[in-house]
Amino acid sequence: MQPWAAQPVVLTPPVQANYMLNCMGCHLADGSGAAGKVPSVRDSLGILSRNSAGRRYLVQVPGASQSPLSDLELAQVLSWMVRNLSTQAVPPDFTDFTAAEVAGYRRSPLVDVRDTRARLLEAAADRVGR
Amino acid sequence: MPDTPSPIDALVERMARDMARRVSRRGFIGRVGALLFSTAGLPLLPVARGGQPGPAQPDAATDPGDPQTCEYWRHCATDGFLCSCCGGSVHSCPPGTEFSAVTWVGTCHNPGDGHDYIISYNDCCGESECGRCLCSRHEDDKPLYVPFKANDYNWCPGSKVGGAYHCTVARIVGVAK
Repeated sequence: MQPWAAQPVVLTPPVQANYMLNCMGCHLADGSGAAGKVPSVRDSLGILSRNSAGRRYLVQVPGASQSPLSDLELAQVLSWMVRNLSTQAVPPDFTDFTAAEVAGYRRSPLVDVRDTRARLLEAAADRVGR
Repeated sequence: MPDTPSPIDALVERMARDMARRVSRRGFIGRVGALLFSTAGLPLLPVARGGQPGPAQPDAATDPGDPQTCEYWRHCATDGFLCSCCGGSVHSCPPGTEFSAVTWVGTCHNPGDGHDYIISYNDCCGESECGRCLCSRHEDDKPLYVPFKANDYNWCPGSKVGGAYHCTVARIVGVAK
């Protein structure tokens, strides 16, 4: 290639582009958020995505459930987040979110967001501690 | 004219000769050089640059327009003062201001290469309003009740330095299509 030739424009993968356009404004590019204002997802994604209660929370949390993404797009973004933003290794038995799973959880609102999150993370810590 | 100088002339002459003995021209030049060098070093002091520009920057030939105008394509949904007119650039904050990481993200169409770039509109905070190049465009922004798609917010309360708003950058973070 000649040194002055223009570099080709590389498109952002569509799932990552959906994360950027719908989540990154608050959660930042690496999911770390802003201390005291936007919770980091980096340490909680791996824990919450392991069981159905945690996965239900991840779908129902307002930023996810109320996003303009379709059920399939939201499922893809959540799976991408678990695989790319979590500080923990993705468990070998992790299964991607599906559109049907998202549809099943998304329509019922999560009223008490903070307490639900704290309860789920505490329960996970208890399981690890036992 | 009398041959003997006036007392004032004599005093000034004595002072000038004293100074010439004490101060070398080389020392003076050295001090001027040090002053110039330190002034040149000032822009190297820590400046909030708003993170690195995205990996997918359009090349100069396909980046039409003037970043100091509201009509520039990256400002398609900017609501505020352009940092490129305020001592910063289209992707970096002016010295003395702090980047607000939390913000909203949208897309702008680049007529130069036909791609839709993903743009992060971050506010630069900690100083009062810049007041130059006010820009108010609203392509694809949403009402206030859709906060992560609304450009009417002041995002500085989410920054580390509090709520004083100075200007807004338009950083490319990706390419949507």
